[in-house]
Amino acid sequence: MIIGRRGFLAALAGGLSPARLRSASPWFEEVPPSASGISWVHENAMSEKRYLPETLGPGCAFFDYDGDGWMDIFLVNSGGCDFYSPPRPLRHALYRNNRDGTFTDVTEKAGVAGGHSFGMGVAVGDYNNDGLPDFVVTAYGRVTLYRNNGNGTFSDVTEKAGVATPGWTTSAVWFDYDSDGLLDLFLCSFVDYGTDQHLSCGDNKLGKHYYCIPRVFRPTRSYLYHNNGDGTFRETGRNTDIERALGKALGVVATDINNDGRLDLFVANDTVQNFLFANRGEGRWEEIALPAEVGFSENGQARSGMGVDAADFDGDGLQDLFVANVDQEMFSLYRNKGDETFIDVAHANSIAQATRLLSGWGLKFFDYDNDGAVDLILANGHPDDMIDLYSSQVRYREPLLLFHNERGKLRNVSADAGPVFSKAFAARGLAIGDFDNDGLPDVLVGNNGGAPVLLHNRSAAGNNWLGVRLRGVACNRDAIGARLSWSAAGVRRSRLKTAGGSYLSSHDPREILGLGRAAKADWIEVQWPGPSRLVERFENVPVNRYIELREGQGKRRDPHIG
Amino acid sequence: MRARLIVQLAIAIAACGQERDPQQALAHAIQLHQAGRIEEAITAYRAFLKLEPEHVEARSNLGAALSHTGRYEEAIAEYEQALKRAPSNAGIRLNLALAYYKSAQLARAVSELIRVHEARPDDRQPALLLADCYLQMGENRKVVDLLTPLEPQNTDNRAFSYLLGTALIRDSQVARGQALVDRILRDGETAEARLLLGTAEFMARDFTKARKDLARAAELNPRLPSVHGFYGRALLATGDPANAQAEFRKELELNPFDFDSNLNLGFLLRQDQKHDEAMPFIERALKVRPRAAAARYQLATVYLAKGQTAEAQRELEQVVADEPGFVEAHVSLATLYYRLKRKSDGDREREIVRKLNAERQAQQPGARTSAMPAPAPNSQ
Repeated sequence: MIIGRRGFLAALAGGLSPARLRSASPWFEEVPPSASGISWVHENAMSEKRYLPETLGPGCAFFDYDGDGWMDIFLVNSGGCDFYSPPRPLRHALYRNNRDGTFTDVTEKAGVAGGHSFGMGVAVGDYNNDGLPDFVVTAYGRVTLYRNNGNGTFSDVTEKAGVATPGWTTSAVWFDYDSDGLLDLFLCSFVDYGTDQHLSCGDNKLGKHYYCIPRVFRPTRSYLYHNNGDGTFRETGRNTDIERALGKALGVVATDINNDGRLDLFVANDTVQNFLFANRGEGRWEEIALPAEVGFSENGQARSGMGVDAADFDGDGLQDLFVANVDQEMFSLYRNKGDETFIDVAHANSIAQATRLLSGWGLKFFDYDNDGAVDLILANGHPDDMIDLYSSQVRYREPLLLFHNERGKLRNVSADAGPVFSKAFAARGLAIGDFDNDGLPDVLVGNNGGAPVLLHNRSAAGNNWLGVRLRGVACNRDAIGARLSWSAAGVRRSRLKTAGGSYLSSHDPREILGLGRAAKADWIEVQWPGPSRLVERFENVPVNRYIELREGQGKRRDPHIG
Repeated sequence: MRARLIVQLAIAIAACGQERDPQQALAHAIQLHQAGRIEEAITAYRAFLKLEPEHVEARSNLGAALSHTGRYEEAIAEYEQALKRAPSNAGIRLNLALAYYKSAQLARAVSELIRVHEARPDDRQPALLLADCYLQMGENRKVVDLLTPLEPQNTDNRAFSYLLGTALIRDSQVARGQALVDRILRDGETAEARLLLGTAEFMARDFTKARKDLARAAELNPRLPSVHGFYGRALLATGDPANAQAEFRKELELNPFDFDSNLNLGFLLRQDQKHDEAMPFIERALKVRPRAAAARYQLATVYLAKGQTAEAQRELEQVVADEPGFVEAHVSLATLYYRLKRKSDGDREREIVRKLNAERQAQQPGARTSAMPAPAPNSQ
């Protein structure tokens, strides 16, 4: 981040101060089902045998399935599988945004009820560049790819597209790894859970079965599907490090760790080291987590990695990484040192201390107060529903945590963020999206065996913003991999449009650029991803509203953004 | 002021007297020693030994006085000199062993105690002390071998039952250990009994029960050796590192050389990135068990975190040489080599990590098995 004289003066004047943002009302307010109309409840299928898939879901998503400019909501449910026959039909849920803070269930009409496999997560992406968001639902069992028909319905094109993936898939991400303008698909694969007889762990001290630690199961390889551009995919992870690296993958984010213009993958594994797949171009992937120092704890141990994300939290132009783990392991915030190595700065940012007793899943860097710097939210909950009986400190239901970015340093502000941060949840998925188009990113949390929690963001009274929907033309339509730079009141900032992040979840594709107290954005530059890699400047942009920036319609500039 | 002058004068006169009459000087030193005026006794013994350097009793007494003030290295030197003159004096050797024991030089204490025990097979004190050394060094089987023959004549000795019971439980001979616990329990609820129970539960990974019994043991007798250390470990295992730290510190106030408390406290402080604070505890753990790979590894990770790469490399290479299956040490060594731009060495270590992890994974039950053992869950 380059701060000019004006920016410096603005900062001195309090433009970046969190104290200015406080108001009498909570920063985040829980929207009850009675107000939102979201009555769907996740069925975790918890059984006496404690089958492991029961405790891992659900994911959730914000996306605009009908293209009306308002974020709709998708919620993943469990379903029938080899160990579970639902007593009543189970289904995912698609809620259409009524543009008044309420939602209408359109699941059946849209044809996305699912129910024929034990659903886990969701990843949204416009893989066929038709301007309509498609999505994939991962599962213990059958993966489902839903193509958006453009008329409020979806078609299951899994087999036709060639992405029917065996086993147990968890998080997924759409990204264009070869810059051909088409979104490819990476699917995290968890453990080999068997096909006929599932390992059961028990008895515990209560004489009951409990959820096995994934350590006992064999690792698996994850899947990378290349988009052929004709509605089909072919698996291209074979004979690369993606195939060779056997893991127990739960979380993934696509980001560019070395600013080489190619999207890399950071994958969180449970009880196996994390993977950092560096994209070396021409289909070559190099797994570098150990030399990059993001694979293991500082104590040389593989941890229980679950949620992940990436962002440039300290404004040095480099993508930093985050991974959440299980209790006692503490979460890690990895600052990018610029040479493909990282250093864990979780302690210096009060994250390690705050997360020692927590188990983290959904999480996301986002600028909740539009001051221009990315903050962080964490959704937590212990995987073992009986942990309260074993542990004096660790609980099954855990609080959400919110961290505010104060000049490149994160501070735990959960206590100030509203009563919902004093509540405890069995949280899993977490998605960020501005459902009421007020420019403040809201939060959706998927709870295991419970109702989702929708948090309305009311934090940033007075801060200005600019909502940007990027529309790729030569590049992928979602412009994943684009780098946005903007200047407001002399303060220049930049942001990479990453993909994935969190856990089992998918986010509002729009970028909200926080302007702080600045009344306008001086300019916005977009470095579009390949194949064009155009750098374009957009000026005289309005504020406090959403705009669309289309590749090829800006003023071309030399590619110097970074 | 006047009173102080009189005292000083008296001491000066006494000193003059010692120079004239060595036996009187020794008697005076002993008198001071018995009166608890230890520093003055040390001075007096030293003055006497200048006159009669071969005097075994005086040198031994000087050793005892020095030990009393915690100056164990000086005491050890005096005892060793005394033993040169009287090598078969088991009493002095026992004192020497105690000085080694108190200064955490357990291996040396053991070699002296073995000789004392051989010389005095019926003396319970050296046997129990030797057993305690073995216990602290993690040599549980040696404790069992040492104490089992003495069991018939020690059925009513609570310390004996406690030591043997603890060793049996730690050696996974839980049933035999439990019998000794029962023996202690016959005396009613005691701290020793609760500690043994808690230890047994801890070893059986029932950390919740262990936590309760160990808390009770600490309540009944907060000065019982190892009670805070084990309670701390139980708290750690049940997810309470903050209180665990406090218990480890309590243990170390009473028993500064408790290996596990030093190591665990060092580990927790290192995990909190308080590297300088962690270092002395890890070093003290290593003083007790110089070849303990876990402690050496923790030391190496502190060096690594502090950027002391040469020291980290030395320790890590030694750890993996001693314990080739220590995966975490290979991870850290690979990290170190990569930091030093020694890619081929890093790759080699990384490959070892991969193989070791694959071997570990192969030992797990995995899916599709009909036999279903119960692996340990988190925090249970």
